[in-house]
Amino acid sequence: MTTDADIEYDRSLLGVEHPVGTFEVTQDMIVDFARSTGETNPVYLDEEQAAQSRYGGIIAPPTFCNIFISGGKRPDPGIKFGDLSFFAGQAIESLRPVRPGDTLEASTRLKEVYAKTGRSGKMVFAVWETSLTNQKDETVALVRESFVRRNRSRR
Amino acid sequence: MFLDLHSHSTSSDDSRATVEQFVKWAGVIRRKGFRIDGFVLTEHRKFDFDKDYSQLARDNDLLILKGSELDTNCGHFLVYGVTEELTSRVNFADVSMDASTLVNAALECGGIAVPAHPGRFGIGFCEFVDNGSDFSAVSVVEHLNGSNRPGEQERAEELIAKKGYKTIGGSDAHSVSAIGACMTSFDNPIADAADLVRELRAGAYRPVRLEETST
Repeated sequence: MTTDADIEYDRSLLGVEHPVGTFEVTQDMIVDFARSTGETNPVYLDEEQAAQSRYGGIIAPPTFCNIFISGGKRPDPGIKFGDLSFFAGQAIESLRPVRPGDTLEASTRLKEVYAKTGRSGKMVFAVWETSLTNQKDETVALVRESFVRRNRSRR
Repeated sequence: MFLDLHSHSTSSDDSRATVEQFVKWAGVIRRKGFRIDGFVLTEHRKFDFDKDYSQLARDNDLLILKGSELDTNCGHFLVYGVTEELTSRVNFADVSMDASTLVNAALECGGIAVPAHPGRFGIGFCEFVDNGSDFSAVSVVEHLNGSNRPGEQERAEELIAKKGYKTIGGSDAHSVSAIGACMTSFDNPIADAADLVRELRAGAYRPVRLEETST
């Protein structure tokens, strides 16, 4: 029998916040990121047009938060399953606009570990949730990243 | 009555479709001249007791029911008529639960468990049906599944021809526009989960593709 309770990993990590870092947001960073991802929306690119928008100025695209998160270190939950591990996707929940001049504090926590079965057999997923908070102590984004472990060979 | 008996909302870990988006797409389907009367949310490895879609359903002239899709040692099973008694007897998160135990427990608790996408490689019932387990309580399998890959439909059809199961259809939607791609046509009206279980156990129904519902 395999239940979530049977998955071997470091449960002490569950829900515990780990600091990722503090990041200053500049207008150049936002504009560069928007250009590099092919954005054409003026709220990300043009100060004058953005000032006329409902945001009242330039804001960052929702995926901008990735530049602070990707490659960040996090503790290894030590899941005792499978011999293959890979990134299984990301969901970004944008809660408030990120603006030039913001100071973002990022921290991450192991949200859940669970098992499922698919065409390739059993898989164990670890979901990390990173929250980004601005200088007003407002959470601006939640980024959930999934990592999967499974066996290399089919069942 | 046309019901999609297999769909996943954002409550499942691998879907990005909200229930509200499914409802809007059902409206698109209707405007295109096809029929859909409702759908069942069969979330992975869980049952959402706390979620209530009755008002949303009424506002949009749809039936929205809740079920589950559970991982077992013999593939995935759709479960309809989930009760607190069933969730207390069966650990829905157990991906290796005994399938025949689930099937029997569902029946004893007033529900029904149906092998999902039985032709699917790796997790299809056809790979396990003759493994020596007692599957005499299985009477219905999912015939049409909107997420089948090449070859999986044929494997399901071989199983159905061999065993003589009654059959249903479902989209297995994980994205908005997939809802309703495959459905089940019921001869009798269904208003709630109890009706659905009753009809699946003893009623008349057949799987259909969306294109077959053209009005």
